[in-house]
Amino acid sequence: MYDLSDVLNVDALRAVQPGTSILVSGPAMSGTAGLVRDVLASGARQGEGAVSVTTNDRAATAIEDILARAPDADPAAISAIDCRGEGDTGGSETDDGAYLYHAGDPSDLTGVGIGITQSFERFEDYGIDRIRLGLSSLSTMLTYTDQQTVFKFCHVLSSRVDAAGYVSAFAIDSSAHDEQALQIVKQPFDGLIEVREREGTREARVRGIQPDPSDWVEL
Amino acid sequence: MAGSADPVVLIVEDEPDVAETYRLWLEDDYDVRVANDGDQGLELLDESVDVVLLDRMMPGLSGDEVLVEIRDRSLDCRVAMVTAVEPDFDILEMGFDAYLSKPIKSAKLRHTVENLLERSEYDALLQEYYSLVEKQATLESTKSHAELENSAEYTALQGEVDDLQAELAETLDGVSDDADFITTIRELSEGGQP
Repeated sequence: MYDLSDVLNVDALRAVQPGTSILVSGPAMSGTAGLVRDVLASGARQGEGAVSVTTNDRAATAIEDILARAPDADPAAISAIDCRGEGDTGGSETDDGAYLYHAGDPSDLTGVGIGITQSFERFEDYGIDRIRLGLSSLSTMLTYTDQQTVFKFCHVLSSRVDAAGYVSAFAIDSSAHDEQALQIVKQPFDGLIEVREREGTREARVRGIQPDPSDWVEL
Repeated sequence: MAGSADPVVLIVEDEPDVAETYRLWLEDDYDVRVANDGDQGLELLDESVDVVLLDRMMPGLSGDEVLVEIRDRSLDCRVAMVTAVEPDFDILEMGFDAYLSKPIKSAKLRHTVENLLERSEYDALLQEYYSLVEKQATLESTKSHAELENSAEYTALQGEVDDLQAELAETLDGVSDDADFITTIRELSEGGQP
């Protein structure tokens, strides 16, 4: 079981089944990417591996961000896949042992897949068998690649996570897509964290992990 | 012909005895064709071929060049590259679906061919799965909750989605292998730009 309850204090996240994939959905600027980062940092604090796929941040920034949220974590258990399309493609290592991988651009799904596989293998060689995979954001990917391909990509990733017994959390900007598109992209995931903003307060709730949705909890 | 339903495997290999060995291992289950070099391989290649076993190092057209031509023709076949040394993931980025390093044993060869055929099935199921989910989402966005509850079409669709999900989880063991994972993703990217 994976404990994600320090990200959002609800029962549904206290004991998440290995193999679970969660979509984190909320309007622009509601902090979905930060929530995905929190899921990774929470794992890093518990000695789990963290793989961050980022379409908007530099890989080094993603790693620093996770380490800032989990200061005692082992950098060698952290990896980031940068698909902004800047710099040379391929893998490298930071001075303190974190792993960086650069994919071609947000449409280079193969590159992202290779970066993820390399990260998983690295962690496994390192004796880490509990891993969290984060991706932000699917909305950026959807501007580069058609919905059908992104849907399949999510399905294949969640199948891989399921077969390996890991956990994943992907962010999507719900205000950037219509209801039908969101409905389709949601399908490959086992659960949903919805984020909303009400009267200046950010709230989130969890659906799909337990039979009933959780209450809205302030973030 | 009785064997016409068997999947077609094309062996492209310049060493005749090696090609013959592969043929013997596969001929019980597959319709096997043998080409002795890259040019002949391309001649024998058509829509009916399901799997190509392609030797990388051949005089004349190399395996890499044959692969480029196969992909240019947009043929819907799987290609396993046969190589003397074990390559890294870059080989999968080049567009091969699998690789086999020599010497190849019978069980390994048969397993690879089976796996490649299963992967074709996985892609077809994934495509079907998307179509159903899209149909479902269309119904959801055009009908009320009460209308959906009473719609036989919607209920049937939901059943089909569940069945396909289960089938996908069984095919390729739900993508339990790194090479299958990368290859499946690579094929997705070949499909779509917005």
